[in-house]
Amino acid sequence: MKRYFAVLLGVLTAIGGFVDIGDLVTNAQVGARFGWSLVWVVVVGVVGICVFAEMSGRIAAVSHRATFDLVRERLGPRMGFLNLVGSMLVTFLTFIAEIGGVALALQLVSSVHHVLLVPFVAAAVWIVLWRARFSSIENVLGLLGLSLIGFAVALWQLGPDWGDLVAQLSPAEKPGAESWLTYAYFGVALFGAAMTPYEVFFFSSGGVEERWTHKDIGVMRANVFIGFPLGGLLSIAIAGCAAVVFLPQGITVETLGQVGLPVGVALGKIGLAVVVLGFFAATFGAACETGLSVGYSLAQYAGFQWGKYVRVRDAAAFHVVLLVATVLAAGVLLTGVDPIMVTEISVVFSAIALPLTYFPILVVANDPDYVGEHRNGRLANVLGVAYLVIIVLASLAAIPLLVITSMGQG
Amino acid sequence: MEWEVPWRRTVVAVGLVLASAGTSCSVVDRPDATDWDTRADQALTDASSEVATSRLALDTAARERTWSSYAVVVLAQAEEAMATVEDDLARLQVPTGRSERAEEVLAVLESAASAVSDARASAVEGELDDDATLGALDEVAAELDRATDGG
Repeated sequence: MKRYFAVLLGVLTAIGGFVDIGDLVTNAQVGARFGWSLVWVVVVGVVGICVFAEMSGRIAAVSHRATFDLVRERLGPRMGFLNLVGSMLVTFLTFIAEIGGVALALQLVSSVHHVLLVPFVAAAVWIVLWRARFSSIENVLGLLGLSLIGFAVALWQLGPDWGDLVAQLSPAEKPGAESWLTYAYFGVALFGAAMTPYEVFFFSSGGVEERWTHKDIGVMRANVFIGFPLGGLLSIAIAGCAAVVFLPQGITVETLGQVGLPVGVALGKIGLAVVVLGFFAATFGAACETGLSVGYSLAQYAGFQWGKYVRVRDAAAFHVVLLVATVLAAGVLLTGVDPIMVTEISVVFSAIALPLTYFPILVVANDPDYVGEHRNGRLANVLGVAYLVIIVLASLAAIPLLVITSMGQG
Repeated sequence: MEWEVPWRRTVVAVGLVLASAGTSCSVVDRPDATDWDTRADQALTDASSEVATSRLALDTAARERTWSSYAVVVLAQAEEAMATVEDDLARLQVPTGRSERAEEVLAVLESAASAVSDARASAVEGELDDDATLGALDEVAAELDRATDGG
């Protein structure tokens, strides 16, 4: 019974924790401009994150070490450093976007400008990172994140022409006014949002925090293969709401307030309040995950004690990194930079950094010295290599598309 | 000394890059006619989006589907975005042969900015279903459509 409860809790928190500010904004932007014609990218991205999260979870469960703890040892300091710089910078950029996202969510209920809220949000995030238990952060915020199911209910209540919506699934149904280059740019952004590197940092380090063993591989797989795809359905529902309400009116999405409007239209104040709670939980949860991921990656590279499963005094350097990262993130946001713009940049740069994150996982997951009999099977390797090709293509295309389309303007 | 040659080359290269960057970073952006047309069309599209967002925010708040502070935040952000759209186009040097079109586009953008601003003010006052405000938004939306078609 306890095991079933663990599976259920893991799946629910995986669903609720799947969506972050990048998913919220990018899916709504894409739905408003391209309808459901880019849903296939979400599907490709979700399968990809499942493939690599399962590998990194298996590595953590068998070796009791986080993936990036092993990268430097297995691939040498140079590759480790490249991996650290690329992935950590993107994770830090995402951390800034998430803290900004929390402030934007609070602005929607308080009318106080988000810049004024940033210091309080940053302080709250740091206190949670310092004091709260790892499982509390994951479970409480993950379960609250389930409020975003409001988007799926709203889509159903909006009563769209389902035949028309399903017909939009074909890339050929891209709106004629949008160019293929812009379509490709948003495809790469959506892929970057779905496969953002911190998810794997957090997942694998979380496995060590929760002291997984090889006996937990089954539960871990249930979380990944059930929870992540259901979380992906929330992304599709967000895009669907935007496609139904915004696309016919020619509205492009640039703010978090716009993302929630279709829910207000469909469900009224209570539905909207539930979804705004979901905005808060999803962004706060992701802020904690990205903040921890910055600390994890630096500590694992430098070799100092890390994690919330050890006492603060034993992982002092790790906690100093968390504090410095939080102060820096707040400092960036206090300059008045638009958190949505930071989000847009972070998902594209996430796509650029993907090979640096995922190539080492594939190498370590094939090394019997670390994973013994639990090394990759044929299917995992075929999928892993196929995804590496897609990831490299997306990474190479990201910068040219960003420049040519002026960040998707056209 | 052997290191002097690459050092000088580096200085020259950096100087050339800075010089070329400097020539392209003048105070006033001077696009050619085609580039200006593209930017004007984009400004009209963006303005239409902000006006439609404002209309939707007011409408949902008037039907009590959102709380008023939510509508105010959405409208304030639309107002800010509208001002940016207007400023960005106004800052461009109008190319030869586009003076009349520029006057028309900037006038309609000003009307749109004013309508969105009035909508925000109405929402702050709690007047969410004010006919004059809603009518002004509808009117400017039609003007934006005409201006877009006129391009």
